[in-house]
Formats: sequence, C-alpha cells, structure tokens
Amino acid sequence: MQIVSFALRNFNRARTRTWITVGAMAFACAIMIFYASLLEGWLAAMEKNAVGMDLGEFQVHVRGFRDDPDLYKSIGDEEHVLARLKENGFVASPRLYASGLVAAGNASSGVELRGVDLAREKLVTSLDQHVWQGQWLDEQDHGGVVVGRKLARILALKVGDEVVVVAQGADGSTANELFRVRGILQSVAQGVDRSGFFMTSATFRRLMIVPHGVHAIVVKRGVAGEELDIATSRLANLLPGYEVRNWRQLQPVLARLFNMSDISLVIMLLITYAAVGILTLNALLMSIFERIPEFGVMKALGFSPWGIFAMIVVESMLQVTVAAALALGAGLPLALYFGRHPIDFSRFVQSSSTIAGIAFDARWYCVVTVNSVVLPILFLYLVAGLAILYPALKAALLKPLSAIYHR
Amino acid sequence: MSLISSPVRIVLALLGASTLFWGSAGTAFSAPSPEEQEARAILLEIDDLWRASSSQGLVRMQVKTANYTRTMRMEIWSQGKEKSLVRIVSPLKEKDTASLKTGNTMYTYLPRTDRTIRLTSGMMMSSWMGSHFTNDDLVKESRLSEDYDPRITFRGNRDTRDIIEFTLLPHRYAAVVWGRIVMTVTAQGHLPLLAAYYDEDNVLARTIYFSEVKKMGGKLLPAVLKVVPTDKPGEYTELVYEDLRFDLDLPESLFSLLELRRR
Repeated sequence: MQIVSFALRNFNRARTRTWITVGAMAFACAIMIFYASLLEGWLAAMEKNAVGMDLGEFQVHVRGFRDDPDLYKSIGDEEHVLARLKENGFVASPRLYASGLVAAGNASSGVELRGVDLAREKLVTSLDQHVWQGQWLDEQDHGGVVVGRKLARILALKVGDEVVVVAQGADGSTANELFRVRGILQSVAQGVDRSGFFMTSATFRRLMIVPHGVHAIVVKRGVAGEELDIATSRLANLLPGYEVRNWRQLQPVLARLFNMSDISLVIMLLITYAAVGILTLNALLMSIFERIPEFGVMKALGFSPWGIFAMIVVESMLQVTVAAALALGAGLPLALYFGRHPIDFSRFVQSSSTIAGIAFDARWYCVVTVNSVVLPILFLYLVAGLAILYPALKAALLKPLSAIYHR
Repeated sequence: MSLISSPVRIVLALLGASTLFWGSAGTAFSAPSPEEQEARAILLEIDDLWRASSSQGLVRMQVKTANYTRTMRMEIWSQGKEKSLVRIVSPLKEKDTASLKTGNTMYTYLPRTDRTIRLTSGMMMSSWMGSHFTNDDLVKESRLSEDYDPRITFRGNRDTRDIIEFTLLPHRYAAVVWGRIVMTVTAQGHLPLLAAYYDEDNVLARTIYFSEVKKMGGKLLPAVLKVVPTDKPGEYTELVYEDLRFDLDLPESLFSLLELRRR
C-alpha cells in the first residue's frame, strides 16, 4: 500500500513530463484502437462478401466435382442430404452449375450458369439483397435471369435486355434459349462478377435437361458460435462419401489473407508502440537519474531493492492506465462514429475492385470488437512494461551511499 | 489445338477445306535427307487426296460418352481452305442448327432462338455438338508442316497389311499441344489407317481410326473416322461419310451469315 501511495505521489511530481508521456501513449493507443477497428471492419466486409454472398459457410459436393466440375457429377439424393442437414441443425440450399456461352448483340462470353433454389438460397447467402439494378430472380419469371456486374459490362447489358444462352445439355444436345436480364448484381467476387449467370433451378433443369440431382449444397451453421473447424468435421461425419469444405478451405487465399491481417495488426502495434516505448524509457530514465539521491536515502532507510523496483513499476503502470483510459475515451468513440459513418473511398476505387477475388466495399466501416480494443491496450502495457525494466532495475540496484552523494 | 487431328477438320478437309495431313505442305526445310523427302512426298500425296476446290456431303456422326449416345446427321459444304458450313439435318430437336467457319472465325446459328452467335475464344475448347472435338478443332487451320517434322519410323507388314508409319515431332519452338503424332498409312495407295496423338508427356491422348475405304466423289477415301479418347474408356465419336462430292460450283453466298439462317 505504501508503494502505491509513493507511486501516486511521484506521478504528480514532474507533471509536465508525466503528462507528455501519458499523452504520447494515449495518442498511440487511441490511433491503434481506431486502426484495429478499421481493419476488423474491412475483414468483416470481406467475409460478408465472400461467405455471405457467394461461398456460404460450407459447401458439399460429390468427390471430384471441385477438381473437375462437370454436369454429371451431381449429388443424386439431395433431398435426403438436405433432410439430414436440417435434422442436425444446419441450414442448407442446393445449387446447380454448368458452363455455357452467353451472347448479346455481337458480343459473347463464357459464363457459369447457376440454378438457384430461391426459397432456400436466401437462408444461406444474401445474394438476393445485393442486386445493383433491376430485381432478383422470381419463381414466376421463367425467362428472367440475373447476371454479374462485370459480365453485364462486357456484354453491354441493361435490365430488360435479351440474351442467348448456349450450352451443352446433359443429353449432349445443344441447349439454347433466349432470356431477359432481370437484374444485375452488385460487385460480389471475381468469379460471380465476371461470369455469374443466375436462373431459377426449374429453368436450369429445363434448359440443361437435368431432371434430378444438384451440384453443390451450400450449408450454414444453424446457430452461430460453433467453431468453423468443429462444424466442418461434424458435417463431414454426417455426410460420409461427400466432399465437405468450409469457406476457408474453399478460398485458402482469402483465409491466409485473414490470418495475415491479425499478424499485420500485431506488427503495426509493435512498430507504433516501439516509439512509445522509447519515449517512456527516456522519461523514466530521466526521472530516475533526477532521483538517484532520493533512492539512496530510501534504501538507507531500509527500502529493499524489490520495493524500489515495485514502486517504479507501479508508478509507470499508473501512467499506462491513465493513458489507456484516455485512449479508450478518445479512440472508442472515434471507431464507433466511423462504424456508423463509413469512410468513403468510392472516388478512388473502381466499382469492382477485388482482393483475393473478393469484392471489397469502397465504403469502409469500423467494427469495434473485443480484439480491436483489448489488443492495443494489452500491447501498450506490454511495451511500457518492457521499457521500464531497465530504469527500474537500475534504481533497484543502486548502492545507497554513492547514490546519496550522487551529483 | 490445331492439327489435322480433329476428325471434324478432317470432315472439312475432306470437303476440300483444308489440307489434311500436311497443311500447306512443302514448306522449305534445309536439305532434307532422301527419307525425309519421301516422308514429305507421301504426306503431300495424302494431302492431295483430300484436296478439292469445293465439296458437299452428308455425314452421320455418332457420339458415345459415359452419359449419352447420340447420332446426328449433317450436311456439309466447303469452299477452298477458308470456308465451310455444317448444317444439322437430324435429330429434329437440333435440326437446322448450323456452324459457319470463315477463316478463323466461327458462327453458330441456333434455330430455336433464331440467333447467330460468334464463338469467342473462351468457347473454343468446348465440345462441338457434344462430340469429342472442340470448336477449336473446326476452326484452326492445320499447320502440321510448319510445326512438325515427319520421319518414317516403320515400313513393312503389320496386322497382315503393308504399311508405312510416320512419326511427327514438333519443332523445338512450335506452339502446339501434341508432343508426338504417329500416323499409319497403307503402303499401297497411301491411304490413312490410323493416327495416334501423344501429349507433351508422351502419353497417348487420342487415336483416330480410318476405315471403310470406298469411292466417293471420284476418289478412293476412308468413309469412316473413329476418334477414341484414351482417358475416357468406352467413349468415341464416329463420323461416317454417307455421300461426298467434290469440285462443285457452290455460290459464294452459301457461306454468308444470311445463308446461315436459312431453313
């Protein structure tokens, strides 16, 4: 208790120096809280686009489909699989895939035809909420299709335009039909933007002559919170004989990017705090050199080296705590503000910019998470703690007599 | 992907479209050995076998894959090396679907939608009419003479027939897909019997069998071509020439986009 009261008193002795140190730490910490929230926001947006629009959390395929997709590699007993997933608390939606050619006017382009189960798809992805122009698919509109944004640009398509689809039907015949563009999607992911061509599963089955089976089942955890890896192995056990992949396995580049983001945050923290650490070290060294005779007296009066060490540690931890409180007071409201009012980069970014194949929003939101607040503060304590080790040890190991006469 | 390889091209070649085995054979090489000269001469002969200023014919194509078996009949026309037209006669579902090749461009007319589509590069490697040929097979000119060196690798009796076997190896910097092509022709008359295509790893990719030699359009030609992909056991595409005539006076307008839509 005595140590704490000494530390408190010392906190107030060289006010200017103390507050400059505290101010520097608080500023760096507040900036890092904001930066971390921004990073979290960016990752959340990427994940939302990748997982929530396209991949889904998990995908189930027949083995070999992903390596070499083909119209005939389909899940034959899809209703059974879907029922099984439902029983076990998963939400799922079937999808149909085929490759084909779409032509409009004189332009044509290869596309990935996708048959969508309208009722179920919206349970696993929110693509239907992501239409840029026109409308999402409708079960009643057999001739209406929705296309990716870049595809629309390549073929100069507008909502209401006519397109011809040519593909090879399951019976080997040339499947061809006229469709009308019902909607154009917002930028989602490279693949969807460039070659996404969506139709209802009923239309797909008629066009491609695929009466049964589906090519993929997209799955989502029924209750959030279950670990991705645990849920993946649970799914794999549930559906032996099928290939089960979570989104991190489906998009390893993206997963790696996400992992690296954590590391990059830590690196940013260390760099920023290195400066703070040096400042703290300098300030503390100064305050210790000034007080060498004082420490000598304290030691002569019976203060143990450990006591002096503890006093200096408490003293600086006190400064860190004040700095952290200030940082929280400044950084958190800032991050929360930009959580509601995004930073708009749209003037600088192309409409369909992608990173690792995933579209990112030009409007950048902060997302405040436990990590984005706790990590900067934790690292501040860590760096300051390291910085005071040397001055505190120096003071603790002073020889009382020479210290008293130190000038 | 060019290559005479494709039976479809051979369809076109038969039509006099392009030079079959040897492209514009006779490209200059520096001082070929007598054997090389002979190899090239025989190939030129084969080339001439299929050459005509124009042609018209009826072909039956049977495609067997693991997932379907289908038979189509189509009418084919060609003029010079550059132009050819294929129009489907049956089955009814695809009747009047037509492919027009002019130079390196390919158009497909789809009667069901009444639209003509120009095939883009992305579509070139897709199957043509569900067969074991790609669209690219139809479009590309055969330029074997420019890309490959012929060598006679066997001469004598095999399976009770006197044959000559050629091995074609690509030039060092040739941009081709095949690592090696081995062709067998009859010693008498130099009619093709077999062509085996090996990929860059020297693995057999597909084999074309030529059979049923008969007189068509005044020439003795194999009437049946069967393409067998190695990696898909049990699958094949077979082309049977039911009728073939050469050197006809075809109107230029036959190979136009307008004509493509004619039913």
